[in-house]
Amino acid sequence: MRQLRIDMGKCDAGRTCQHECEEACAIKVFKLDSPEHAALHIRELADGTGQAILCDQCGDCVVVCPADALRRNKMGAVVLDKELCVGCYTCIGFCEKGIFERNPEWLVPFKCISCGICVKACPHAALEIVDVPQPEYRII
Amino acid sequence: MNTILVNGDPLEWKDGMTVRDVLTLKRFTFPMLVITVNDNIIDRKRYDTALIPNDASVKVVHLMSGG
Amino acid sequence: MSSHTTETDYPKFQRCEVDFTQRTEYLDGLEAMKAAHKVLKEWTFKPSLPQQGYTNRTLYLNVGTLEVKEKAVTQQMKDMFIGGRGFGMWYLWNAITPKTKWNDPENEIIITPGPISGITQYPGSGKSLVVALSPETEIPIDSNVGGYFGPLLKFSGYDSLEIQGKAEQDLIVFIDGQKGLLRIEEAPAEPLDSHVLAEILTRMYAENDADRVNISVVSSGAAAEHSLIGMLNFSWFDKRRGCIRLKQAGRGGIGTIFRNKKIKALVIRGPEVKGDMNHPVDQETIAKTGIKLHQELRSNDPVQCLMRRNGTAHIIEIMDAYDLLPTHNFQYGSHPEVHKIASYVWDQRCTQRTTDGCWYGCSMACAKGADGVVLQTGPYKGHRVTVDGPEYENAAGLGSNCGVFDPEFLLELNFYCDTYGICTITYGTLCAFVMECYQRGILNKERTGGLEMTWGNALDDLAMMHQMAQGEGFGKIAGLGVKRMKALFIANGWGDAALINDIGMENKGLEYSQYMSKESLAQQGGYALTNKGPQHDEAWLIFMDMVNKQLPTFEDKAEALYYFPLWRTWFGLYGWCKLPWNDVAPSDNAKTAEPTKIPEHVQNYLDIVSAMTGKKITSEDMLRQSARVYNFQRIFNIRMGKGLRLHDHAPYRSQGPVTKEEYESRIERYEKELRDQVGVDPTTMSLEEKMAATRKYRIDRYEKLVDAVYTRRGWTLDGVPTQARIQELGLDIFPELVEIVKAHGG
Repeated sequence: MRQLRIDMGKCDAGRTCQHECEEACAIKVFKLDSPEHAALHIRELADGTGQAILCDQCGDCVVVCPADALRRNKMGAVVLDKELCVGCYTCIGFCEKGIFERNPEWLVPFKCISCGICVKACPHAALEIVDVPQPEYRII
Repeated sequence: MNTILVNGDPLEWKDGMTVRDVLTLKRFTFPMLVITVNDNIIDRKRYDTALIPNDASVKVVHLMSGG
Repeated sequence: MSSHTTETDYPKFQRCEVDFTQRTEYLDGLEAMKAAHKVLKEWTFKPSLPQQGYTNRTLYLNVGTLEVKEKAVTQQMKDMFIGGRGFGMWYLWNAITPKTKWNDPENEIIITPGPISGITQYPGSGKSLVVALSPETEIPIDSNVGGYFGPLLKFSGYDSLEIQGKAEQDLIVFIDGQKGLLRIEEAPAEPLDSHVLAEILTRMYAENDADRVNISVVSSGAAAEHSLIGMLNFSWFDKRRGCIRLKQAGRGGIGTIFRNKKIKALVIRGPEVKGDMNHPVDQETIAKTGIKLHQELRSNDPVQCLMRRNGTAHIIEIMDAYDLLPTHNFQYGSHPEVHKIASYVWDQRCTQRTTDGCWYGCSMACAKGADGVVLQTGPYKGHRVTVDGPEYENAAGLGSNCGVFDPEFLLELNFYCDTYGICTITYGTLCAFVMECYQRGILNKERTGGLEMTWGNALDDLAMMHQMAQGEGFGKIAGLGVKRMKALFIANGWGDAALINDIGMENKGLEYSQYMSKESLAQQGGYALTNKGPQHDEAWLIFMDMVNKQLPTFEDKAEALYYFPLWRTWFGLYGWCKLPWNDVAPSDNAKTAEPTKIPEHVQNYLDIVSAMTGKKITSEDMLRQSARVYNFQRIFNIRMGKGLRLHDHAPYRSQGPVTKEEYESRIERYEKELRDQVGVDPTTMSLEEKMAATRKYRIDRYEKLVDAVYTRRGWTLDGVPTQARIQELGLDIFPELVEIVKAHGG
């Protein structure tokens, strides 16, 4: 399955970049001029290091969705069917990575689908899409 | 007297007695508990290690249950 | 050490890997059944979505005259009764007279979801309340049920569905909330039993596969027709399993009324559900509050109640450890074989790795399902079915209380109760009574028509249930319930009347639910001082009283029996489930002033109501809203010739040891009580004297408790709300209420 990965040795958490990854995600994927509504986040920590909040397509949200609105696509990425979504946000509450998110303007939540737009946008080539085995679904 | 009070009832105190020992002796197996030893709250993580002094008043408040 | 048995403790049990999509299908003949329908009435309406939780319309339907109409939900109704159980009580009050009997056409079944029902963000927000005049108690009954029917009714345009009248032929009422169409159809061909009927109707009325989730069926079953303990099943379509699931409006015989009205099923087809269909004033607060509870469940449920894995069955072995698991008709509180039906077994037997909420967004997800159950008896012998649960009440009532410790038989008993449309709690308690009567010679093989009702005889237990569904044999007598069986056995001269009355676990005509109140005075009141009868959904005080010893005085107990019944009533006014209130708790709950109330969760509920309606409410408002409906219902009971102190009498089995064996099983406790509380020396007394002294002491204490509770509730010592209390609650705007309390010295 396709999974977004980051090399924190290359990512400098915004010191010499403009968070192009988040910006590209917000603009190109969600048509929003607000990087806070991107499906990945790079946080600058007080000690100068960075923290990446990325979806690893673990599939926990697939298990907990009561509307069966979350499924893996052909590439293995977990995709939300907005038509089926009932806006319960169980996926958000049960996402251990804190990367299933919502925009207060929208009823349905959003998530990363490993599309790779952010990969191309990163000036340090810190992000990549890798192909990894799909994990077993967990009992949560 | 080597005695403590658990929810007001006497229980024999032993040296090294932990909160877990009290729960086992009293068969308090319900998971939703609020435990105080001499009015100090004992966090769930400390049940195995928190020692109970002699003469202590232990309160094991069970939250409600029942469908 | 966790309270929950772990897999390593019982390595012989392996996780049950069942294909949960496989089961016996019942769709043959669907087209022929459909073709046999005859449309008796078509009626159109304008579908609408709620605004701030209300659609402001009620759908009234008379299945006898075929009258269908809309009624306005007035501001006064919303102010005085809120919704849910409150609306149900109000409609029933207006529909019947003090002379109405349960099987009169004017009796109603009212289904009301409540103003927050249908929220998808906060767990436990999809409940419907069902109200009717009960055949068992002959006073109003209310039942809180999940499944999709209520929310879909609301999203079709109606706050309540009020059903009156009696049909002559079996009917199906179909409400299409997408098209604005209601059809009453004669439906002669479908079977009655819910696991078949709801499956067939879901497919019959869905326009395509994707539409099945928009269908919900209310149905009963064969045994509801021949007993007084009928129940209603509310369905939803489980997409992953590819089958319908059922939740039950169990108590008090509403399914019996349903069949007496010749209703085969109610079917709703609602619109596709989205996250804001209640149109709250403040969606954002509801979203944030919901996510907060989802997160709390994710992090705390695995170390607290494991509701997501075991549902309410998580307390089976806990009740046993505290001597509270009803065993052999509430004689004892524990049993050495309990490990065979403990939560560990259900954890293995139920399908995990799926989602089991009875409404969208309930991440507590306690509606577990055991798949691949192959039935061993009855009309569905050999069929492979999915059984919901078992919930704690079923495992205790059908299991330990009857001495059945075989999990597969327990599932089968649970399955047949559900599909036959009878209440598992009621059946468990009445079967336990039958078995004890058999043990004590009040019944024998001749009197039961050949059934050997010995403890744990699951095959004859099931045979009795099948008889109930057929309307024959001793099963038909058992289906009258404990109160009427007692009268019948006494009238037949079968055994000692006093003993029969002591061991028959009913109050107001309703069977006790599955907790031992014997050693908790407060819980004795929690059961017998209820409006509808001894169900645990008013006050569950056993731990507070018996274990924590937080309620030492009568006044303390009375305060708990004031607050908690009002708090619990409130869930039923709004359409909430109680379980997410206290079967999970915030990590810092211990540090709050009153941990047993779970203050953060109380605030969540208040915040959501305020966000829904735009009117900020406090916990004082909550108590007042509940107290109005609670006192209204009490006066309603009085209007129906009940509702007085005499009707709050409890069977002695719920209060103390009836038999020598029971006394001896807890002799230390009872002798300590005699020494320390009664002030006598048990060593100088015979067993009979000790039992008599215990009984006198306990009944005296119960009467003192009743005095204290009535006083705290603002009632006279005969249990009648005082005029001052009803004025304070604003209920005096209804002159008939004032007249009733006046006439009874209130």
